[in-house]
Amino acid sequence: MKKTKNTLEIEDKIKSMQKMQKWQTIILPLLIVLILIILCIFVEQFATFGNIINLLVQVSPIGIMACGVTIVMITGGIDISAPAVMATAAVIGADYIARTGNLVFGSVLMLLVGALMGAINGFAVAFLKMVPLVVTLAMMTINMGIAIWWTMGESIVGLPPNFSLIFNEFTIIGMYIVVAGIFSFILRKTVFGRWLYYIGNNVNTARISGIPTAFVIFMTYIISGLCAGIVGIINTSILSSARPGMGPETQILDIVSAVVIGGVSVNGGVGTIEGAVIGSVFIIMINNIMNLIGVPDYYAGFMKGIIIILAVAIDTFKTKFIRG
Amino acid sequence: MILLRLNLLEARAGKRAANFKKEGNQMQNRLLLQIKNISKNFPGVKALNNVSFDAYTREVLGLVGVNGAGKSTLLNILGGIIKPDEGEVIIEGHKVEIRNPRIAKDLGIAFIQQEIQVFDDLKVFENILISDLYKWRSTKALPFLNINKLRMEAKKYLDMLGCNIDVNTRAASLSVGEKQMVQISRALSQGGNILLFDEPTSSLATKEKQSLFEIIKKLRASNLVIIYITHYLDEIFEICDKVIVLRDGQVTGKENVNDINKKNLINYMVGHDIKKMAGYKSMQTGKKILEVTNITGEKLPKDVSFSLRKGEILGVWGLMGSGRTELFRTLLGFDKMRKGQIRYRENGNLKQKKSKQFFKNTGYVTEERHFSGLFLQMPLWKNMSSVCLKKFASRYLRILRSKKEKNAAREYINKVNISAVNEDMLAYQLSGGNQQKVVLAKWFMKKPEVLFMDEPTKGVDVSAKAEIQKLIFEMAKSGISFVIVSSELEEIMYLCDRIIVLYDGKSVSEVSKEDFSKDKLMSDITGGES
Repeated sequence: MKKTKNTLEIEDKIKSMQKMQKWQTIILPLLIVLILIILCIFVEQFATFGNIINLLVQVSPIGIMACGVTIVMITGGIDISAPAVMATAAVIGADYIARTGNLVFGSVLMLLVGALMGAINGFAVAFLKMVPLVVTLAMMTINMGIAIWWTMGESIVGLPPNFSLIFNEFTIIGMYIVVAGIFSFILRKTVFGRWLYYIGNNVNTARISGIPTAFVIFMTYIISGLCAGIVGIINTSILSSARPGMGPETQILDIVSAVVIGGVSVNGGVGTIEGAVIGSVFIIMINNIMNLIGVPDYYAGFMKGIIIILAVAIDTFKTKFIRG
Repeated sequence: MILLRLNLLEARAGKRAANFKKEGNQMQNRLLLQIKNISKNFPGVKALNNVSFDAYTREVLGLVGVNGAGKSTLLNILGGIIKPDEGEVIIEGHKVEIRNPRIAKDLGIAFIQQEIQVFDDLKVFENILISDLYKWRSTKALPFLNINKLRMEAKKYLDMLGCNIDVNTRAASLSVGEKQMVQISRALSQGGNILLFDEPTSSLATKEKQSLFEIIKKLRASNLVIIYITHYLDEIFEICDKVIVLRDGQVTGKENVNDINKKNLINYMVGHDIKKMAGYKSMQTGKKILEVTNITGEKLPKDVSFSLRKGEILGVWGLMGSGRTELFRTLLGFDKMRKGQIRYRENGNLKQKKSKQFFKNTGYVTEERHFSGLFLQMPLWKNMSSVCLKKFASRYLRILRSKKEKNAAREYINKVNISAVNEDMLAYQLSGGNQQKVVLAKWFMKKPEVLFMDEPTKGVDVSAKAEIQKLIFEMAKSGISFVIVSSELEEIMYLCDRIIVLYDGKSVSEVSKEDFSKDKLMSDITGGES
């Protein structure tokens, strides 16, 4: 092909655009590191070992659910039932453990309940073509109801002490790292992961290209449910008890904000697990800082709201800027 | 050089305009719209470069150019959607600044879009007067509309066009052509005196096209400026009086239609002669690889049967709504098949297959590349490998080897001659013709045995069209069989070895290359005696 001056000019522009896109993925991590440095200098207790571990343990539950929600959101859906499913799974599993003392099967039961709830979500969205927001909203209230009904509104206590010993701080953080690592690998390197992006980008093209779209979407909700199940195990061990209120509605806000701040597009097709992890750390960090410097709760909510709006604004502005 | 030539052309045009007046039109051709030295830069592209032209009333001004020549940018400037970097728009002698679509509307600029924009659930009169409904309140103070007045007003505009659609029908029940009329009436009702037709015929059937042309001719007689944008050069000669050609954002030709021929026009558009490809692929075709019988879908098609040989190019010819796309979708398993059999050659024998299994050996280039052909926000290499990911993945864990994908993408970018900077470019950054080539490339990459194509050159410029047609011939020679739908008679006659004609979902005739004739094909699709 002959290259005229004009096309050369275009080439330069597009190449510089491609470089810019690479930069944009690094901006948020840089920002967080910057905040971290500032915190280490100005907030006294922040850089202590205890606080950091504490922070990471706090991140893990939200972070793991955020991984699941990320997978759903990349295909263009959303799963707001995650915390409620988590509570149901935890309550049912913990109940089983409290009665039989069988830790292994109790934990597996939590995963199964999570996956089952996810499968219901997925079936409604993928095969019945129902709207994800409405389906998962309904599942959220249903699961909160189940959790309360199962426990009659009370906490389930009397779990074997082993449970909290096996799932201590380090195994919890380790689980988070493993989950995030596996998910990141799936998204980056596997056919399934690529399919998610195709579907989120254009579901029609994906279908014509021979991708089993309904099945993949179905699977994403199961994965999200499974993540909720994992978090059920973690939360039960942290509290060494399970109660229906452990997955409050507000938690889903933290999760979705974490995911959105991490650069996962609400419209689907864009986002990474790394982003979701960074977003989760960010959200919990804000909570943590507010605690340390003694800011009341309502201010914290206020701040988080503003940060989410900023994140979405930057995302929108970014795409507009790139498209010219 | 170019400037000099432009000046010459302008001088000539001026003379001709003067001649026009002498010829004794009773009413004068009034200069209504002037575009002066408009330039617009996008990151990376000079979309418009010093574009100027004048538009007079009582004549139809054709605007042509290949994809990416700057037509849409010009339209968007006139519509107030984007602002020019330089230059001015002058309407009736006054310089205007079109800051937003509202202002464009107030200035009398009205668009008749390519994609028909009507509200299916509203009635015809509501559709026509939609933008000024508030003007038709029965009393100023209350938000109730005076329906009778509305109906009368809407009827007025429909009568102007000489078409008798009942204003009370719901728009959903109208034909595409009638919807087009509603759209034009809407433009007129908004006080439009500069009408911009943006490829209005691309969704119309032949008959509807003719009535649209009648209406445009009628409108020409009134005091309007009509700018007609199209890909189809024949239309220019049919209804335009003058033509302006854009190429790479510049005006390369301004002519009176009577003084030029198609060849000149193409010359202006692409800058060099495109030789009509003399030869087509040799007619040798191999064994029968596909036989479908009595394919019947939910609504369309009805009882369609055909067979296909290796390396053969089969055309499917029919009007819009005759079940062309539905035939493809039913065959490939995207729509439900009520009845029918697909028998496909495997290991030397024709075996019955389900459509889902059959799809594995095929490709499907859809009609709407943005809707179902591309992942616009994704890089080219991901677009291309999407249909054959398994080829690039490990066997058990399905781990992708991106390097392999990229290499393959690079290979096909060269093979199909896509003008892209590299394989990391995002699909939306390409022009229409190149996007279509990406869609082709991705299916070629899958190496299908049968490739179904729905309007493979829709909305693609002349030179890209020729390239795509050449590619189809090459691939057919290498053994891929094609089934092609096209609305362009010339194209389908040129490409195909055999054509089956659909009418109302049924295949009414089958014509082989020796017997192709325009008359027969045209009469068959309208249900004429065959």
